[in-house]
Amino acid sequence: MSDTVVSNHPSSYRDPSGFIFEKEGVIYRQVNTVFKDHYTHFINSGLYQHFADNKMLVPHEEIKENLTGSSNFYITIKPEKIPFISYAYEWPFDMLKDAALLTLQLAKDALNYSMILKDATPYNIQWKNGQPIFIDTISFEKYEATPWIAYRQFCENFLGPLLIMHYSKQHLPQLYTAWPNGIPLSVIQSLLPKKSKWSLHTYLHIHLHNRIANKNKGGEQKGKPFDKQKLLNLFTSLELLIKKLHVPQQVSTWSDYYQEAAQRNHYLDSKKKIITEWLQELTPVQAIADLGANEGEFSALASSYCKEIIAADFDPYCINKLYLKKKSEPVYPLVIDLSNPSPALGVNNEERSSFLQRLQVDIIFAFALIHHLAIGKNIPFNKIAALFAQCCQYLIIEFVPKEDEKVQLMLKQKEDIYSAYTEKEFISSFEEKFTILKKENVQDSPRVLFLMKKK
Amino acid sequence: MIHSFFLYIDPGSGSYLVQVLVAAALGVAFFFRNLKMYIRAFFSRFSKKKKENISE
Repeated sequence: MSDTVVSNHPSSYRDPSGFIFEKEGVIYRQVNTVFKDHYTHFINSGLYQHFADNKMLVPHEEIKENLTGSSNFYITIKPEKIPFISYAYEWPFDMLKDAALLTLQLAKDALNYSMILKDATPYNIQWKNGQPIFIDTISFEKYEATPWIAYRQFCENFLGPLLIMHYSKQHLPQLYTAWPNGIPLSVIQSLLPKKSKWSLHTYLHIHLHNRIANKNKGGEQKGKPFDKQKLLNLFTSLELLIKKLHVPQQVSTWSDYYQEAAQRNHYLDSKKKIITEWLQELTPVQAIADLGANEGEFSALASSYCKEIIAADFDPYCINKLYLKKKSEPVYPLVIDLSNPSPALGVNNEERSSFLQRLQVDIIFAFALIHHLAIGKNIPFNKIAALFAQCCQYLIIEFVPKEDEKVQLMLKQKEDIYSAYTEKEFISSFEEKFTILKKENVQDSPRVLFLMKKK
Repeated sequence: MIHSFFLYIDPGSGSYLVQVLVAAALGVAFFFRNLKMYIRAFFSRFSKKKKENISE
């Protein structure tokens, strides 16, 4: 073993089968001796290859060397890097639904190879080219004619939240920050309307499940025969139910923003022309974050200049639309409220890092956003500048002056206490953290675009 | 309210028994579902043949 520091990933402590660690900036997973039989069956049965070929599981490379020096070592695997990690509390409804359906497909396919999925949590799903991908290679064990160990976990982590969103007709990713490890069945049941009992599958997996689980607390769990067909019926039932769930596409405040913006003569064209010119000078780069992305008009523009795009907006309806549109592109659509970005969560607040810790990009886009933060949320310019400065090297930002019709619309509904909301104040606050490289007026609009470099 | 009892049992407790019950219910439900689909497929084949005969 080399002397280089090996650090275990803070979220990888639950499963004795193995753990994730980092060495010299590379992420590895150690498989422990206790899991040897399951892992070898997973590889030799062809299940791993089936998943890798169908892009359902992150592919890996086997490394025989014991990099941790651990006595439990069986094998080290080096999974392909996931460029950006996101969590269920940042996903709109359809992302969560696709993650749930992938989990069920993995469980069904594993059965054909006499293996069973032992974990069903959204933290095991990440995104690659707009598609969900499973990341926990050691979640598959040999099937031993027992019921599904992850059944309750699936109901509390996927099915329950999806049902609550379906019946309330709302995207509610925030549920996961309140219950990061799944919503208890009793809470799910109390949040669902009575009519949900009339759906056979909902009745069985939530209402009956909760009733029986409560009655049988601590009861004997083993020794009950459970054949493959019963498990397949269970997975099919969950799949049929989840496929029917949806949240309607409501007209939110910001949906159809671009159609409306495009009507303002040459505003969008002029803005795109300036941004394209600046991007040509700065790129190619690895990552661009489009903050306040709406339905991703500028994320699409950025796609020719970088390898991955993080498109964040606080409106889940827009982000859901963007997700459905950008499947197969390296776009990470995320529901993020920049006035309250996702915090660090879990044991010692280390298991899931905060959004700002994860957001390290080359360029940030902040178009038509500053007035929402400064006037809509009363955040001073220096705090907004500090927010962007901790995440990027370059910033392309649009200043929306008070005379702009959108700002005037906002000020109609509230008292104008924003005497500091001027271009001069904006420049002096941002110059504390950035050097202004370029500035251009957008045609047919009082708005101004700035290209800045972090100091 | 958190019942102290929950602190001493596995969170998956009770889910094994419920799966046995759910599987039994699904066995019946899927039997009738498959039967319905079979009947539907049979009649659609029958009506297709009829249509083909008419068009001939």
